[in-house]
Amino acid sequence: MIRVQDLAKHFKVHKRPPGLVSAMRSLVRRTYETVKAVDGVSFTIERGERVGFLGPNGAGKTTTLKVLSGLLHPSTGTVDVEGFTPHKRETRFLEAITLVMGQKSQLIWDLPPAETYAMNRAIFDVPVAKFDQTLDELTQLLDLGPLLQKPTRQLSLGERMKCELAAALLHGPTTLFLDEPTIGLDVAMQVAVRDFVRDYNQRHESTVLLTSHYMDDVVELCPRIIVIDHGRIIHDGDLRGLIKQMDPDKRVSFTTTDTEPDFSKLGTVMKRDGQRFTLRVAEAEIPAVVGQLLGPLKVVDLAIEDPPLEDVLRDMFGKAKPP
Amino acid sequence: MRYLRLIGVQLRISAASGMAYRSDFLLEGFGTIAWMFMTLLPLMVLFDGVEQLEGWDRGSALIVMAYFMGVRAVLVGLVSPSLTELTERIRTGAFDYVLLKPVDAQALISASRFEPWKFLELVGALVLVVYAFYSKGTVPGGGDVVLGAVLFVVGVVAMYALWIACAASAFWVVRLDNLQYLLSAIFDTARWPVQVFQGVWRAVFTFVIPVAVMTTYPAMALLGRLDAQTALATVGGSLALLVVSRIIWQIAIRNYTSASS
Amino acid sequence: MPTLLRIGVSETVAYRGEFLIWMLTTTMPLVMLGLFTSVAKTGNFKEYSSADFVAYYLAILIVRNLTGSWVAWQISEEIRMGTMSMRLLRPIHPFTAIAAGHVAAIPFRAVISVPVAVILLVTSGAQSLTTDPLQLALLLPSLALSWLITFAFLFALGCLAFFVTKAMALMNLYFLLFSLLSGYLLPIPLLPHWLRVVSEYSPFRFMLSVPVELMTKAMSTTEALVLMAAQAGWAVATLGLALGLWRAGVKKFEAVGN
Repeated sequence: MIRVQDLAKHFKVHKRPPGLVSAMRSLVRRTYETVKAVDGVSFTIERGERVGFLGPNGAGKTTTLKVLSGLLHPSTGTVDVEGFTPHKRETRFLEAITLVMGQKSQLIWDLPPAETYAMNRAIFDVPVAKFDQTLDELTQLLDLGPLLQKPTRQLSLGERMKCELAAALLHGPTTLFLDEPTIGLDVAMQVAVRDFVRDYNQRHESTVLLTSHYMDDVVELCPRIIVIDHGRIIHDGDLRGLIKQMDPDKRVSFTTTDTEPDFSKLGTVMKRDGQRFTLRVAEAEIPAVVGQLLGPLKVVDLAIEDPPLEDVLRDMFGKAKPP
Repeated sequence: MRYLRLIGVQLRISAASGMAYRSDFLLEGFGTIAWMFMTLLPLMVLFDGVEQLEGWDRGSALIVMAYFMGVRAVLVGLVSPSLTELTERIRTGAFDYVLLKPVDAQALISASRFEPWKFLELVGALVLVVYAFYSKGTVPGGGDVVLGAVLFVVGVVAMYALWIACAASAFWVVRLDNLQYLLSAIFDTARWPVQVFQGVWRAVFTFVIPVAVMTTYPAMALLGRLDAQTALATVGGSLALLVVSRIIWQIAIRNYTSASS
Repeated sequence: MPTLLRIGVSETVAYRGEFLIWMLTTTMPLVMLGLFTSVAKTGNFKEYSSADFVAYYLAILIVRNLTGSWVAWQISEEIRMGTMSMRLLRPIHPFTAIAAGHVAAIPFRAVISVPVAVILLVTSGAQSLTTDPLQLALLLPSLALSWLITFAFLFALGCLAFFVTKAMALMNLYFLLFSLLSGYLLPIPLLPHWLRVVSEYSPFRFMLSVPVELMTKAMSTTEALVLMAAQAGWAVATLGLALGLWRAGVKKFEAVGN
């Protein structure tokens, strides 16, 4: 259970123009600029939910995750994760959560992952039997068998990520914060990580909060999506709701044999690829348009779809400006 | 209990880490022995020409040297590698993972790396103490041995505190290695009895950067020459340094968690 | 080449803080100086008067400051981090490119050396310094050769990072030998006899001690010339070593990749 109320995180950034003179001057008087990384965010996540955080670079996703995991103090607002205040970093809180950062590694570079695991067992004081059981389970789910005894520096990026996930889960946390866990991975590995997270969440009823650049991760994995931009939440709900809210129109695609086709009367032409067209049509007009297309216009391969998430988001982030 | 087990695991892992590069490992071993020789050489040359210097004869100066080697063994075997590791983790962002562990970050970092070979110097230091007393033809009193041992720990604590305080600055200026070189260069003076330095230097080495606390006073204790007042001041000064360094560390962490991005 | 020098200068300016600390770390001669002046206070220590020690260690400080190099650390770091590949793509030999950067730092180091040199002149004067015109004339070439030997030797050492994964241990060993054999720690005549012999036949003496000897010691003309010839010989040898190791290292780098 995560409860966030009016969370804001402002950074004071020390501004210094380049050059020797200004370097000297800044020793005496510093000029600061306030950056509002997170600016009034509230949400509640129930136990066992999988929630995806979406937003462009610098939207405040990582900052929010860092506040939730206790790495950053909130500037204002209250945060409650499983009954704890994160930034106090109490032992029981740290035992209940985990944070995986796709771009940062906790594995010991020169040694096999098994050594990092042994260290984490000591740090988190996990009983041996429990540790062995968890490690067995993770080894099976992530297919770690051949990797455990190889030095980390010899692992591929994908293999390392799998070992990273295991290292983060050995103490059996109930809340998982995943910051870009699939960054840089190839598609097959992305799918493997995704499947693992879903499996793990269902087996242990753990709460998962995930950020990712890859829409597919979020769409596939998270029934609930929170979109954040310029430090504010601009959507919180399921995927369909998000798409409906942002772009209620449908996409109608078809192939025509007409040599000089003109479909502009029926809807906005979104895309044309040879004889294949995609129109944007309001939901209410769908029956009429489809009737026209299949009847007099004789098109084939007709498909009606929701707008692609990527387009919706691009529109959304293009539109949303800071107040 | 948790901490004890942790130290055990880290010892094992560091040893394994050290052996990951075999050629380095052997070189380190050879280097450590060569270094001990080099440490002794100037002293040998010096006392080849003079009988005594500011009240220190060859045997007594060897004891200061032994304390220096002992404190240095802990420094280069444990403290310095761990703090280099700290800078590395801050630079790569992996320090976040340290803060997320349910153990004290300073404790976790302070023991994050050992270099097993360097502890050979501890053995060298012990041998040197025995040899020094043998060459002087005296035997230290029981009480002096106890006080000398206690003050060795006190000296190590002072050194550790100084390095932690310096490492905390890694949160502001990310390149710590240079600062560490500077500190090491100053620490190097601890191999000589502080009395051989004159005027300002002696004051600096006693009060500002208390290398005297790390080696000279403990050595005097073992030789039975330290008065109770200085002994107490040594213990007090070292503990004060430890407290101050802990405060600096906590400020640094608070700063890190409220300002980093 | 002028551009390379200019960039080297601005790099030195950019890293001035670190540069200053790096300079400050060469305090070892000062410590030894403090020690030996206190030793020689009551009388000469094996032919060395207190003034001789002052002259010797200040001269060491100046020469070390002008000719010291960190190129081995730089190269091994570049190899470790993979930035060395970038250098291989440029149509200029890395030895030249890196050397240019280091030459550019010399004026800044000279600035730090000047006050030390002034103190040296004022405190020691003619008493412990040479006045021989030949020795003074040879001083500058000797400094340049010292710089070259140090740079080439450390360049070669850095290239070892192509072959061993962590070359750090080697560099610590280098510094150890250097301190012992170059006159950095103790004047070479004060070393035990066998070490003195080793020192005289090692390149280390020519990295540091030789210019200092030219400054502080009375020498015959032949002695000075022989010393210079030996120094030139070491310069050629270390240069060959550096370029050879570089070539072998790059060959391995290209074969294995990194």
